[in-house]
Amino acid sequence: MRESTLTFLQYISALILIVVASLHLLANNAPHIGPLIHDSPMYPTMMVIFLTALLYHLLNGLRSILIEIIPGKYAAKSISWCLLLIGIAAYIYGLNTLSDLFPKVIPHILPAP
Amino acid sequence: MVEEREVTFRVFRYNPREDVAPHWEKYEIKVTKEMSVLDCLLKIKEELDPTLTLRYSCRQAICGSCGLIINGKPRLACYTRALELDSDVIEVAPLKNVKVIKDLVTDFAPLFEKERRIYPYLMRKDLDEVNEPTGFYRQSEKDLLEYLEFANCIECGLCYAACPVVATDPLYLGPFVLNRVYRLCADSRDQGTDVRLEVVDSDHGCWRCHFAAACSDVCPKGVDPAKAIQFLKRIVVKRHVLRSKITERTVEVVPIPHTKQKVELPEED
Repeated sequence: MRESTLTFLQYISALILIVVASLHLLANNAPHIGPLIHDSPMYPTMMVIFLTALLYHLLNGLRSILIEIIPGKYAAKSISWCLLLIGIAAYIYGLNTLSDLFPKVIPHILPAP
Repeated sequence: MVEEREVTFRVFRYNPREDVAPHWEKYEIKVTKEMSVLDCLLKIKEELDPTLTLRYSCRQAICGSCGLIINGKPRLACYTRALELDSDVIEVAPLKNVKVIKDLVTDFAPLFEKERRIYPYLMRKDLDEVNEPTGFYRQSEKDLLEYLEFANCIECGLCYAACPVVATDPLYLGPFVLNRVYRLCADSRDQGTDVRLEVVDSDHGCWRCHFAAACSDVCPKGVDPAKAIQFLKRIVVKRHVLRSKITERTVEVVPIPHTKQKVELPEED
């Protein structure tokens, strides 16, 4: 992927994080709105978006710093691949953790038998 | 009466063939109001220490050869008056981020190597016209103003020495090279934008710029490379991310005006 596309996605993920992280903070700390957000059927989906945007923003930011301070002909590619593997592992772990949220919501979405 | 002051010059000295490590040497000279730092260094070389090595050429801020770190800031030695620094001790060192050849002389070869990678000349697709010109490419005043500000660069390397990104990433193209890319991309006569953007849109290209703007701060010609890099990012996003269609600019070729043939000289008897 081109560097411009990666940077563009970095900006987009930052914008998503502002919205999603604010909602997450409200859900955990605001006494009146919090439970409403928590019980919303969209909450688990929002958490998956939060995880995706956060991981991308974090790892791509780290990549930018690392390829700047570790210059070398093959360094950039090695760093990118290492971080991609770390990202996939962290994403799977995160999705596994978040999967606990889904069953609680599914009964609300699905019509009662 | 001519204003004259005794000033101490603290000069960086390093000869890789003889010295184990660089050292500072002090010289005390009398400086008058009109003397530039370059004049002072030449006075030191002529009167006190002929082994002092420095590079200079035009003495009027056009060639960009005498770029040095003067009192901690990258400046042109010929363009900086010693007494205007308002200091009794003037510290002179070679430019940062480049290898020292000897004393105040630095090696610019890596910079020019980077510049060569971006095809630093106007590129055209109408090869017939390029090979056998029938006229010249007309450019309006508006077209000229698109890039004129960035064409004043003399490639003195002060921006390169001031750039914090080059300090950590020696593969980064650097401000003056990226400024040159934008200057060419903004030129209505140029058709090589796509080729250059491939080089620029890379791991060590324009996206590594942090917009510290130290380059623009030190430029002796008033060029704003930081702004050029931001404009360049905009072009890259338009072309590579938003996939906006490439529209080749058409520049009218104006025929060369008829000129009189040279009158042949009479043959000698």
